[in-house]
Amino acid sequence: MTYEPPITDYDHIVENCTCAFCGCNCDDLDYLVKDGHVVAVRHACRLGASKIMEDMDQRLLVPMIRDEDGELKEVDWDTALDTAAEYIANSIRPVFYGWSETSTECMKEGVELGEYIGAVLDNQATICHGPSLQAVQNAGYPIQTLGEVQNRADMCVYSGSNAMNSHPRHMARYAVFCRGYFRQRGRFDRTVVTMDPKFSDTAKMSDKWIGFEQNGDYGFYNAIRAVLKGKELYQDVISGIPKEDIYELAEEMKNAEFGVLFFGLGLTHTLGKQRNIDIAIKMVQDLNKFSKWGLTPMRGHFNVNGFNIFMAFHTGFAFGVDFCRGYARYMMGETNTIDLLVRKEPDCFMVIAADPGAHFPNGANQHLADIPVIQIDIHWGPSTELADVVLPGSFIAVECGGTSYRMDGVPIWMKKAIDKPETCRDDEWIVRELKERVMKLREEPNVLDAYEVNPNIL
Amino acid sequence: MKTITFDQIKFSTIALEMDEIIPDTVYDWTEDDFAKYQVPIGNSRFPITDFFDITVEGEAESAAEVKMIFKGDLNRTKYIGSKMSAGEIYCYGNVDLHVGAEMSGGYIYVEGNAAAHAGREMSGGKLEITGNTKEFTGASYIGEWRGMSGGEIIVHGNAGKQCGECLVGGKIRVKGDCDILAGIHMTKGLIEIDGNVNRWPGGQMKNGNIVVHGHLGRLLEGFVLQGVVVDPVVDGEQFEGKYIHYVGDIGLNGKGSLYLGAETNREKLGEYGEHDDEYTSIREYRNLE
Repeated sequence: MTYEPPITDYDHIVENCTCAFCGCNCDDLDYLVKDGHVVAVRHACRLGASKIMEDMDQRLLVPMIRDEDGELKEVDWDTALDTAAEYIANSIRPVFYGWSETSTECMKEGVELGEYIGAVLDNQATICHGPSLQAVQNAGYPIQTLGEVQNRADMCVYSGSNAMNSHPRHMARYAVFCRGYFRQRGRFDRTVVTMDPKFSDTAKMSDKWIGFEQNGDYGFYNAIRAVLKGKELYQDVISGIPKEDIYELAEEMKNAEFGVLFFGLGLTHTLGKQRNIDIAIKMVQDLNKFSKWGLTPMRGHFNVNGFNIFMAFHTGFAFGVDFCRGYARYMMGETNTIDLLVRKEPDCFMVIAADPGAHFPNGANQHLADIPVIQIDIHWGPSTELADVVLPGSFIAVECGGTSYRMDGVPIWMKKAIDKPETCRDDEWIVRELKERVMKLREEPNVLDAYEVNPNIL
Repeated sequence: MKTITFDQIKFSTIALEMDEIIPDTVYDWTEDDFAKYQVPIGNSRFPITDFFDITVEGEAESAAEVKMIFKGDLNRTKYIGSKMSAGEIYCYGNVDLHVGAEMSGGYIYVEGNAAAHAGREMSGGKLEITGNTKEFTGASYIGEWRGMSGGEIIVHGNAGKQCGECLVGGKIRVKGDCDILAGIHMTKGLIEIDGNVNRWPGGQMKNGNIVVHGHLGRLLEGFVLQGVVVDPVVDGEQFEGKYIHYVGDIGLNGKGSLYLGAETNREKLGEYGEHDDEYTSIREYRNLE
């Protein structure tokens, strides 16, 4: 690693800013600002700092519409918004996807628009922690805040999560290395266990690595639960782990004063999916008969949890909410974005603060190429190549303020540090404008033509 | 008897939702009534006659006297027979999601495959599928702890993941193979699988019965071996032959029964010792060869 001299050439410092990268939402950052740009970030990890500083790299600055030749042409805001509103108003199966990298205030406008037009609202949980949310609906949510972890936890278990790479400050600021009120010696007062088939960077930092076989999660957790119930294990090796190790681990977990299970996509997206989380939750509930235990999903985008909390509060469902019949409903495999796209159902797609072009499977992106796509984002990306209307937004937590929900469900206000480019608009303003224009074009919430309902219909 | 035939004339890529067209609602409908009806598609409604050529023959006084026949590519026709309580529905072609969901009576026959959530939360009647089903056959709505509570589902092909999830009654018979976690969280009822099972049937089950005639890939630790039983009577039904009997899931203090065909799962008895009482001795069974 090359030595990088500290930045000394800056105009002023904006203190206590909140990071807009991962679900840790570290709110102790200092931005060094020069000529209206963030030139350095103190306290952030490399992932967060690089996102905040490189804000002008491939930045979308003006609204664009794809013309008949297939080229994106710059237009004024009114033309772009009217075109986008027309696409939405004339659609019968619109999908509004994304929302995880924008503010909760913007989501409020989006839900009003989606409910009015009868759209499907979905976020990145559909390709990451969706199974966790399904399991939470089934089995409950024994949660604790990251502050409690910092001050109390003496055992941290990372399952299917490589926090050292994906959430670099998680271990340092909240869970492992930090000192807490009851854990004055920091790392020395805590036991760290990593459950992962790979010997990851997090495993290297741990006291114990449980390298169970791939797709063996459910069987492994089931065995721990059986041990917690006092059962003798009859197989010598379960999911690749000797039964003696499982006895030992179960004993350690029972004897912890305050334990936490952090789980990532390694658990949610292996064989069993939501049932892996289901049984992990049940295991934590079992452990609470011996000690105090909680669990927290390692959420990726900084406000992906915000959308889920917001939608669950408003509609009862955390993601993939379908308003097409005038009321909220959700069904896995039916109202999730990927399923809808692969089935070629949507006829209009609005992507806000997300990049399906980079993350969706080929079959889904193929359909996106065939339908009108409206993009609200700050950077040029693969989704821009699929977009028919591009509406440049602003960078939450840097160029405009907004509310975000941390991975443990704690809401955090993300303040504005610098001004946005003159030609860009806030996400909240863009979605509100779209909503008002769609309402003018489509006077009734749904296109229900005059039709006499047969009285026999139940 | 009234026969209503839906001959598909146009395929919609956006799914048609047919939950309003069931014998209970259309038993006294004429062709004119169908011509006026608009079917939900996405956020709008369109005349059903744009998609189906509908013919009505005969008269019916109640739903039980109605026979509905669907012909064509029904891969985008959801909720066929949803919430029906009587009558018969015959589908010739693959059907979309939620066929027979929440049905409480009557009979649905699908000549082809069914998408996910077939027979979701059904409480009565019979659903027969000649092909395969995808995930969550006879399962519950997401977040709900009670899946299928009565009636019968027969799948002549294979069934996908979590077949019979949260089963609280009724019977599911899969004549082909079954994917992972069949009967997860079940509390009552019977799942019979003629073919092989991938792994983990009965995860976190509290009660009920699962019978696997074929080979089981991987068994959960939460199941305790009881022994080998001959011609067991399960849920009032007798199964001929020898079966390895487990009880679980112990993680939930469950008392569910899992029966595995003894011949096809002989290797699972490898490390066990003597069992007696009402069961055949395992050592004796090993020597039966």
